[in-house]
Amino acid sequence: MRLLTKRIIPCLDVVEEGVVKGVKFKNLRGVGYPPDMAAEYERQGADEIVFLDISASVKGRKTLLDIVKKTAEKLFVPLTVGGGIRGKEDMRDALTAGADKVSINTVAVQHPETITACAEDFGRQCVVVAIDAKREGGSWVVYTHGGRRRTSVDAIEWAVRAQALGAGEILLTSMDADGTQDGYDIELTAKVADTVNIPVIASGGCGRPEHILEVFERTNADAALAASIFHYGQHTVAEVKGYLKENGVEVR
Amino acid sequence: MPVSIALADYGVGNLHSIRKALENCGARVAVVEDMGALLEAECIVFPGVGAFSKTMEKLLPIREDIVSRLADGVPCLGICIGMQIMFDRSEEGSSPGLGFLEGDVVRLKAKKIPHMGWNTVETADGLFEGVESKHFYFAHSYCGDPAEDIVIGRTDYYSEFASLVKKGNTYGTQFHPEKSSFSGMKFLANFVAFAEECL
Repeated sequence: MRLLTKRIIPCLDVVEEGVVKGVKFKNLRGVGYPPDMAAEYERQGADEIVFLDISASVKGRKTLLDIVKKTAEKLFVPLTVGGGIRGKEDMRDALTAGADKVSINTVAVQHPETITACAEDFGRQCVVVAIDAKREGGSWVVYTHGGRRRTSVDAIEWAVRAQALGAGEILLTSMDADGTQDGYDIELTAKVADTVNIPVIASGGCGRPEHILEVFERTNADAALAASIFHYGQHTVAEVKGYLKENGVEVR
Repeated sequence: MPVSIALADYGVGNLHSIRKALENCGARVAVVEDMGALLEAECIVFPGVGAFSKTMEKLLPIREDIVSRLADGVPCLGICIGMQIMFDRSEEGSSPGLGFLEGDVVRLKAKKIPHMGWNTVETADGLFEGVESKHFYFAHSYCGDPAEDIVIGRTDYYSEFASLVKKGNTYGTQFHPEKSSFSGMKFLANFVAFAEECL
């Protein structure tokens, strides 16, 4: 039986002016311009690209959709767009603009039926449920509103419910690991990936290629999302994939 | 004269990548919202966006006319859901399909669904000539289960399924060539060349 290759997904934080936040990229035209950066990552061998709208304003949303359209015309790997999606119409706008998948977070927690409605209209493969989880004792709690608001929802239970409602994929971010560059939250990722039967993208904490190897060796995550490791020119996607291959992880 | 392709717009989803990819291959592409325009086209592409019943809503009124165009040999490419709608019916929705391809669309027999990511296609078909990596991008929960001898490529995911079919001048792919980077671009270039030969 053949299984899928593990996916490497660079994530770009897009701010209101339509550029990528805090990127110091060498040897690349149009530094900070998302369509160019996405195309460069494709050339390096990225399996998908994620755009996160971190402005979440009306102006920012318009800019983002314009950027998505320009990106889709020169990007020939899947593009996921997320951040501030408020419902089915927002998702339709993002897909029509050129996204292949859309991630939803706050609206999914507040109105879980949105997941089902989107899956029915667009196909469940388009619907990514993003979960921001923070450890509390022996379990993890879901946060919404870009990590600013705590809920009483258990992250593992929420992942199971999201799957039942029609989610096609889980984008799982550990708020404890995010920004540390100390590695993914292995325990959280393992638990979610072992509990659901839909693909899981591990996110938060990647600082070195070893962290990506670790999350693939120790959990059943299908994909690893990373930002700074690629944006600051420390490693290309090709280098990371070469390293994974040497260590027995199947990649494209 | 470059081939003129009608790209069916069912009203949802990313059509920019497939349009641009086909244009990069030298084709002229018209995105058509009026499905009736497909009947006049030199070449038809059914893109891989949406869900089964929603997609069929717009095609049902001209179902028989489309099937007769395909039977007449107009070159056609159906991608993912765009291939699945060419079958008789699907477990995904209650709407009938076009019924050009005999058989049903069935749920994948796999532990983890959707089948999402990069997998290989085993085929000897001419559209794979010059394709360097056989890894293509998949994102689906259902697959075609043809009742006739049209399977020309297979993919293994927990079990084998038909990932490439051909009937007459109609190709169907379960993978997304427009999302399969360099391999996908080569495949589409070969399809455009094939469509031009059909004219």
